[in-house]
Amino acid sequence: MTHPGQRGFLLTAVFLFAPPAIAFAAGDYERRVMTLAGIYALAVLGYQLVFGRIGALSLAQGCFFGLGAYTTGLLGIHFGWTFPASFLAAAIVPALLAFVVALPVLRLGSHYFALATLGISQVVLLVAVNWTDVTGGANGLYGIPEVSILDRSFSSSEAMLVLVWGTLAVAVTGVSAMLRGRASHRLSVLRDAPEAAASIGIDAAAHRLALFLASAALGGVAGALQAHSVGVVSPAVAEFHVMVTILAMTVVGGRGHPAGAILGAVLLVHLPEWFRFLEANYLIAHGAALLLAVILLPQGLAGLFQRWLGEKPHFKPHTDVSSDRNIPAVRRASDGLEINNVEKRFAGIVALDKVSLRISAGEIVGLIGPNGSGKTTVVNVISGLVAPDRGRLVLDKQEIGAMGPHLRARLGLGRSFQSPATTPTLTILESVLAATSSNHDNATAQRLAESCLAFVDLSGWGVEFSGTLPPAKARDLDLARLLAAEPSVVMLDEPAAGLTPTERARLANRLKNLAEAGLGILVIDHSMDFLLPLADRVICLASGVIVSEGRPEEVARHPAAIAAYFGEGRR
Amino acid sequence: MFRHLMLCATFCTATLVQIVASPASAKDAYIPIIVPLTGFLSLEGTAQRNGAVQALENTPEGVSATYEVLDTATSPEQAVTALHRALDRGEPVAAAASIFGTQMLAMLPVAKRAGLPLVTVSGTAKLTELNNPYIFRFFPGDAVVKVAHANYAVRELGAKRPALLYQTTAYGQSGRVHLARRLREMGTPLVYEEALAPSVKDMLPALTKLKAAAPDVILLHLHSAPTALAIRQARASGLDLPVVAGSAMHQPSTAKLLEAAHLKGVCAESASSPVSESVAKIAAFTREFRERFATDPDAFAMAQYDGINMVLAALADGASSAQEVRNWLAGHTFEGLAMTYKSDGKGNMAHDAVIICYDGETLVPTVVKRYHNVDGVL
Repeated sequence: MTHPGQRGFLLTAVFLFAPPAIAFAAGDYERRVMTLAGIYALAVLGYQLVFGRIGALSLAQGCFFGLGAYTTGLLGIHFGWTFPASFLAAAIVPALLAFVVALPVLRLGSHYFALATLGISQVVLLVAVNWTDVTGGANGLYGIPEVSILDRSFSSSEAMLVLVWGTLAVAVTGVSAMLRGRASHRLSVLRDAPEAAASIGIDAAAHRLALFLASAALGGVAGALQAHSVGVVSPAVAEFHVMVTILAMTVVGGRGHPAGAILGAVLLVHLPEWFRFLEANYLIAHGAALLLAVILLPQGLAGLFQRWLGEKPHFKPHTDVSSDRNIPAVRRASDGLEINNVEKRFAGIVALDKVSLRISAGEIVGLIGPNGSGKTTVVNVISGLVAPDRGRLVLDKQEIGAMGPHLRARLGLGRSFQSPATTPTLTILESVLAATSSNHDNATAQRLAESCLAFVDLSGWGVEFSGTLPPAKARDLDLARLLAAEPSVVMLDEPAAGLTPTERARLANRLKNLAEAGLGILVIDHSMDFLLPLADRVICLASGVIVSEGRPEEVARHPAAIAAYFGEGRR
Repeated sequence: MFRHLMLCATFCTATLVQIVASPASAKDAYIPIIVPLTGFLSLEGTAQRNGAVQALENTPEGVSATYEVLDTATSPEQAVTALHRALDRGEPVAAAASIFGTQMLAMLPVAKRAGLPLVTVSGTAKLTELNNPYIFRFFPGDAVVKVAHANYAVRELGAKRPALLYQTTAYGQSGRVHLARRLREMGTPLVYEEALAPSVKDMLPALTKLKAAAPDVILLHLHSAPTALAIRQARASGLDLPVVAGSAMHQPSTAKLLEAAHLKGVCAESASSPVSESVAKIAAFTREFRERFATDPDAFAMAQYDGINMVLAALADGASSAQEVRNWLAGHTFEGLAMTYKSDGKGNMAHDAVIICYDGETLVPTVVKRYHNVDGVL
């Protein structure tokens, strides 16, 4: 019987082999059209990395496509570079441009990112049109040498078809190898829950940069092949319609599966050809067909095939683990977490004023205070989402103030958010696997993930998708994912919000078990019935200042805490 | 399941139509029409298509031809694919080919390999400078019409300070080079010039800068819709200088984008202006064209009509293959409706130009100046 993961591989292999094989047996024209489809599939494969994997709407893929075309054209015509050399340069030059623009651009939010990448594309297009001495202006460059490798000419339509689809096969293999298993899951978390990604040790900046560069390189490679295929490079290769074409192919084919890149490109390159008999009206039919595909196939053509093949998630939980209620492994930070004199202001408003606190290994600390008192800001500062103006942060004797959130998480600092950030496209098990260290082999990671799920009573849910969980189970998943990162200290922001009394009791019991295993825990919660019996120590914050600290019953009686939070009735 | 059936049905139908829609029977001469029907050159491309179709539907006695219309849209890639399709679906003896110079540059190497003559009305100078024996241009190139353009502005209108707005496309850049060179030769260099992308709709910034340069004539070398926009916005902003536009302005479809009053003082270069001519054979062509396509013919339509008619004349004279048609086109003189055509050895077949002007009362221009044999080939 075929393993589910192998079905996806077979699907991709079939779509990599079948279209060029059919075209090879057909005429020159069909080979040419299928060559174009292969070229666009390469560009789409690259675009999937940015748009599909990290959910960033880049509008620069057409620009990278054009840049690759111009690079190979210029080097071939003016400098006599051989095809292999100019082809390599066509991958490197767009990647270099992507690297230069990545630092300012990749930090931007979705719509600003789209606008910034559109701006870059426009600049490249303007250069192509107006730097006439080099680019040939609007006429472009013509007479691009035919492809020749080791004195073997690839000028025939058969040879170009093999070259393009062979390159595509190599690219698909490379991308699949790069993004298999947990690497793919981490990217899904990064796309759907970016803040949660940092809290489980995923380096968002490095992942985004790597994928943006790979995307640009693949775009450049596609552009270079297109230039050699057409024989001319003009500003048309860098115009916005190329970007729109790539985007449409990605959506129609499916943005998360290499087979989607192939299917989208093959279909959208062929559609105008099928409708040519309609002459100028073919655009109406083309548009209608696209609309039909988008409405009927929200997951793209690849999603349709995956459903037909009944493809299930790659990992399956071991059935014998569901009875395993052992507490997952935690790191014991002998010196715990300590922050000293932390200050933070937002536009003149004091959010934190000389806040100092300590969480020891095996200790549960409750953080209370009225709304706006700075509780979440404390957690944000400690986890690295907000930079403090002043103060010192130390985790297990190591200064962490200058570290990014993902590095703090890798050192053993975990946190949850008020609303659990789930990844609807991943199963429960995959969501937890995403948090396991890349130092673990797959088997170890699988065991760790399954023990975390068992700890929160989610063993039986492993193959369900995260988006299908009820709210209480989503909180359980959040905790399991946090534990899979093997933290030494965790900070939980209102973990009992919305839970029933039974669920709260179960959560409290779990947290006590974790503390007994050596985990340091900071809990923010407004429910005193939940927090006071649970915490070993409580800190009360008001207007960014710690007004009371001590055993729960002491703080509950402290006048400052009563005035700030509990109210007179508590006295 | 219903969704999947619908999708399958759609794609199967499309594929079936492809198989059924075969272009030509074996004994007919197959002449594909590979022109831009969509995109920013759709007006010009449609004119080309109509001119070619009119010729192919009225073949000389003894000549039978079939055709297929293939849209090249706006990219070289689509043009090359369309050409490959035409080559794959029959044995064409010639093709009516795109007015868009960049597309022609991409199609030329393919045509050369296939030995297929391309009959075009593209004005891009570079096309006939590449020593490709399969290009035949039936619209005067920039070396002809831009000389007429500059000559009329300077010698007839007395311009001393010309300013130019041109397109960023291959058409625009090529025309700009020839205009600027000719104006320098006549001692009246441009006092201002600016390139505009075809997508630019607000031309006021460019017109304001142009006005600041204090020109005495505005030269335009823009595509159809941008030409109309430039004139409309110039007049609306009080810029009432004489305008000498590129050939796009002679097109009735361009004039219809404007009101007659806007066109007072507007002239344009062209190869011809069918709607302005009263010569019997041109009037007959115009009448038939209107009946067949419900629109007025322009110089592009008539030039493409003449070009395809020259191909048909070659077939009538016994040429039966693409190579024989090419040789006939290269070696013969042909009396067309617009002018006499003869190759200069590089594929430039047209050597005359006209200047048309609007009177501000009607949308039909008058031919005010004819420039014969500008490059001395005839």
